[in-house]
Amino acid sequence: MSWVQAAVSRSSEDIFDEDADEMYLLQKEWNSTMKKRLKEGYRDGIEAGKEFALQEGFNQGYRQGAELMVTCGQFRGILNALLSWCHFNGHDSALSKINNLLDAVGKHEEDVLKYLNSTEQQPHLGHILDSIQDMDLNHTAPAGTEYNEVEAGRHVDGGSSGENTCRSNGEVGSLQSECSKAKLCTDPERSTLAWVKKQTVWLIEELGLSLDILHHVQHLEH
Amino acid sequence: MAAATVRRDMFEEIVMAEERFHGEGYQEGYAEGSHVGVVEGRRYGSLLGAKIGSEIGFYLGFALTWQCLLQKCTDEKNNKKIRALDSLIRMIRKFPYEDPTYDKLQEDLEKIRGKFKQVCSMLNVQSDFRIGTESSSLTF
Repeated sequence: MSWVQAAVSRSSEDIFDEDADEMYLLQKEWNSTMKKRLKEGYRDGIEAGKEFALQEGFNQGYRQGAELMVTCGQFRGILNALLSWCHFNGHDSALSKINNLLDAVGKHEEDVLKYLNSTEQQPHLGHILDSIQDMDLNHTAPAGTEYNEVEAGRHVDGGSSGENTCRSNGEVGSLQSECSKAKLCTDPERSTLAWVKKQTVWLIEELGLSLDILHHVQHLEH
Repeated sequence: MAAATVRRDMFEEIVMAEERFHGEGYQEGYAEGSHVGVVEGRRYGSLLGAKIGSEIGFYLGFALTWQCLLQKCTDEKNNKKIRALDSLIRMIRKFPYEDPTYDKLQEDLEKIRGKFKQVCSMLNVQSDFRIGTESSSLTF
């Protein structure tokens, strides 16, 4: 019965091979169809998710931006009112000081805007702020005086190796400014606005103006 | 019976597979899209919120300060200015500037802007304040 065996074994091989080819093709086609469905689903999902989340994100961001900026605006408003008042009443000596304070507030507003406009920080805002607070290497420089300090510090740090000075300074600088930016929004004692507030209070006292204005300034949170 | 059920289940599974794969992709895409959407939306929102917050804060600080500065002298001319300032301050205090879902946000903002201009002309102060540097996008 060897011919049966031979026939069986040959035919089973043949059949098996044919099946295998067909199965393989079917499997391939199936896989590619399913991959296509997966991709289509993914594309549809992205669109739907984005559409849904855009408005939600917009609302969150709007509140954050408005809250961060309203105090800056109030300082600017107070200082501009004082500026025009001093102008009308001949307190010319105070004008340059007020203008300096306005510049500091303007600079701060720009920093806050840059910070809000950077996409990376958004999802990890709390995390970044935490880690920056832990670092504790921040010297916020409200009016330029402390920038000199930072500058001086850099020269001392970078003095040892001339070649690397520029690069490491650059890194320190950018890290520093990142810290300042975040700190401006969180640390009430060291922020630019705290400095502006102190200066404005002095200015109002110097000008001998009403205590009501002081009251408004004192109540500004930053 | 059992065999028939199994066969039907298999058949359904094959038919449903396309839908299932589409669904799986959809879920994955939805999560990714939500993340992207929140980040993008937040960025646009925060910039607009910052712009309006800054503007409203400015009007409020300005009006409150002038209100105090004018308290000393109470002739008729000053009283008029103070009344205008009072009205501007009331409008600002009522304005939910921090609420992006407030449907009259733009409408109320325009009214406050108009009132502010009126107050400025009464005070003889220029109303086109420029803030920060030239590049600032917050000029209004």
